[in-house]
Amino acid sequence: MLKHLFKMIWNKKKQNSLLIVEILLSFMVIFAVFSFGLNSYSNYAKPMGIDYEHVWAINYNNTLETKNADSLKLFYQGLVRNIKAMPQVLDASITSANIPFSNSHMSTGIKYKGEQISQINNFWVDENYPHTLNLKLLAGRWYNKADHVPGQQIIVINNVLKERLFGNADAIGKIFGNYDDKNKIKIIGVVDNIKFDGDYQAPAKAMYALYDTSAYHWLSKILVKVSPDADAAFESRLYKFMANSLKNSNIEIEHLSNKLTAYNKFTLVPLIILSIVAAFLIINVALGIFGVLWYNINKRRGEIGLRRAVGASGNSVSYQLVNEAMILATLSLIIGSFFAVQFPLLNVFDLPSSVYVIAMLLSIIFIYILVLVCSLYPGKQAAAIYPAVALHEE
Amino acid sequence: MLKNYFKIAIAVLRRRKFFTFISLFGISFTLTLLLVMTAFIDKVINDNYPDKKRDRSLYISKIELRGKESMNASALTYYYINHYIAKMKMPVKVAISSGYGSTNTYVNNRKIVINYKYTNADFWEVLDFDFIEGKPISKQQTDNAERVTVISEDMKKEYFGDDKSSAVGKYIEADNIKYKVCGVVKSLPITSYILYSDIYLPITTSKTKLEADKGYMGNYGAIVLAKNMDDVPKMKKEYADIVAKLPIPGKEWDHVYSHADSYIEGYVRTGSETSSGMVYALTAISLFALFVMLLPTLNLVNVNITRIMERSSEIGVRKAFGASSKTLAYQFIVENLILTFLGGMIGVVLSVVVMYFINDAQFIANLNLSLNFTVLCYAFLTCIFFGLLSGVYPAWRMSKLNIVTALKAQ
Repeated sequence: MLKHLFKMIWNKKKQNSLLIVEILLSFMVIFAVFSFGLNSYSNYAKPMGIDYEHVWAINYNNTLETKNADSLKLFYQGLVRNIKAMPQVLDASITSANIPFSNSHMSTGIKYKGEQISQINNFWVDENYPHTLNLKLLAGRWYNKADHVPGQQIIVINNVLKERLFGNADAIGKIFGNYDDKNKIKIIGVVDNIKFDGDYQAPAKAMYALYDTSAYHWLSKILVKVSPDADAAFESRLYKFMANSLKNSNIEIEHLSNKLTAYNKFTLVPLIILSIVAAFLIINVALGIFGVLWYNINKRRGEIGLRRAVGASGNSVSYQLVNEAMILATLSLIIGSFFAVQFPLLNVFDLPSSVYVIAMLLSIIFIYILVLVCSLYPGKQAAAIYPAVALHEE
Repeated sequence: MLKNYFKIAIAVLRRRKFFTFISLFGISFTLTLLLVMTAFIDKVINDNYPDKKRDRSLYISKIELRGKESMNASALTYYYINHYIAKMKMPVKVAISSGYGSTNTYVNNRKIVINYKYTNADFWEVLDFDFIEGKPISKQQTDNAERVTVISEDMKKEYFGDDKSSAVGKYIEADNIKYKVCGVVKSLPITSYILYSDIYLPITTSKTKLEADKGYMGNYGAIVLAKNMDDVPKMKKEYADIVAKLPIPGKEWDHVYSHADSYIEGYVRTGSETSSGMVYALTAISLFALFVMLLPTLNLVNVNITRIMERSSEIGVRKAFGASSKTLAYQFIVENLILTFLGGMIGVVLSVVVMYFINDAQFIANLNLSLNFTVLCYAFLTCIFFGLLSGVYPAWRMSKLNIVTALKAQ
């Protein structure tokens, strides 16, 4: 039976090849949309790693005249102390500009066992950072006041980097080299992953370094954890306080939750546009397949009438036509899968291969359903052909 | 002859309404998609509000230092602009403005985010903002570092409420300082990021000392205006010569790059010197367009072939009476073009509707898409391309049809 159907498809290969290419292309489109969507969803399902509600970020720039590191340190530590003393503030932390959900990124590379690992997000933080963001410590410890000693080569890394370097082994106390392998740095703690690029992006490798006093020249963000009842009136007080403390600086207060919404758009908008375009293309293709199959049946009335006349049931006729369409779909899917498999094999776009595999399976099911739906009605029509009428036309 | 083809085409279209629907659906939706995309790009790139003198302006907004292992790119310092760009001979005016920064202000316990930009006096002469009220910041006001500001229409609405009274003379507080409003201008969409801002302040009121940073990397950009269009290439050359002679600021660097760009070059500059942003943008757009068009075209080819086979008897008869393959193919392509243009017209109507909804929803504030002559030209070209692409192969198949089999099929 199957062999026979293949033969019939082969006999009309010119016409069928176009259909195959069309189904193949729709498969690729669906595969792209599903991969993108699934990847975004699987990232969305992962925990954020921090509590971003009721965390504000104050942007400032250091405009103090003094170049003396000690007086800068005194000033900024006093500033943080004063902010923390405000009734609605729970904690505050001065950090480098790459706070979560900001467009600012800093990255560096490290050397471990002769291997260069690059593109590690580099955060400059102080001892209040985890409490301000409610960042969980997985192993070891965070920095404390005693670590503010010049020349300390210690670091806290996140779980992604830990797994990249050590797998399941313990990371505490291990040592790696900095980007040019001149300094040896000891790991003192491992923290939870933060999705600092928003809900839909996978957490990346990161390390958190304690800044020394000279960094106050260029640090430009204060993260402030406030109590839930902090309102615009309080924000305006905090703003005035900052503006008066740093007279020559431009001050802005942002809410991390708003920044997250804005950042998520970078993923969501392309996904929505892609889905709309794909939906339109698929409707187009579905209509096309439907039309071509329908026409084919009208052209093959004689053949169908003959089959009915020699005793084939209506069901078996429509079964044959649906099967033919499914075989066409299978042929395209075999070619399509060949291309799709290259994505996880060659590790294109750096997505996890599970995403590609699931996306591929879903796309295959989707295409089968699409072809089935498009061929059911023409098949049913074929079943309704009366042999007497059809043969009479010949 | 053409009239005849037209009649036949309409008759064929009406015969199989379902196929006609599929074809028209495919064409019109593809065209709508492409038209909205073109309108968007056209708006972002070709809309010349407020820089109406774009054809004799060059934009200098970036400087890049490159070493063996490191690179650093950023906007320029005021010092750099003042010492190198302002001393150029060709420009008649040099507009200087900072990148936009944001700050907050709190009005009646309501928070307003304000984007601000520092501008020099020439800025208001190089650019032609539409003033709804008041007038630009004058040279004297800039020199005296007066706390005056030009605000956008949207900011006026947000800060002072919806009342019709003039905002000129009122005070707006930003960054804990009160500025007196001297003018209100028509708002810009954020996509024209080089000039976008909510409030424009005199450069002399900037909180940091302008000439304090004597390096290259800062937060300012310049627009240089030539006397006439012929001077633009010379101006470009003059700037390139200046950059070639720039002292390199440190041992870690070996090259310094900066360009005086036309608006579009500047808009798509990726920050990488080795590859042009223009190439990236063009490839991305054409790949997208091709991809969007490929499936509907294939679909159309499929449907067209089916249709031709349906008409095999007609073709057989015409061939038997002496019509050449060429005539038949020509007829079919014309028929297909007629179909495409019909779909195109529906597409244009659809895209007007879609654009209306996009504008209405204000996805990007102040970005109003519209159907203009350029966009329509693109639509026309797309239609021809579409019609030919989907018509040629079926026509070729048709002209190959054997007379005997075609006639026998009946």
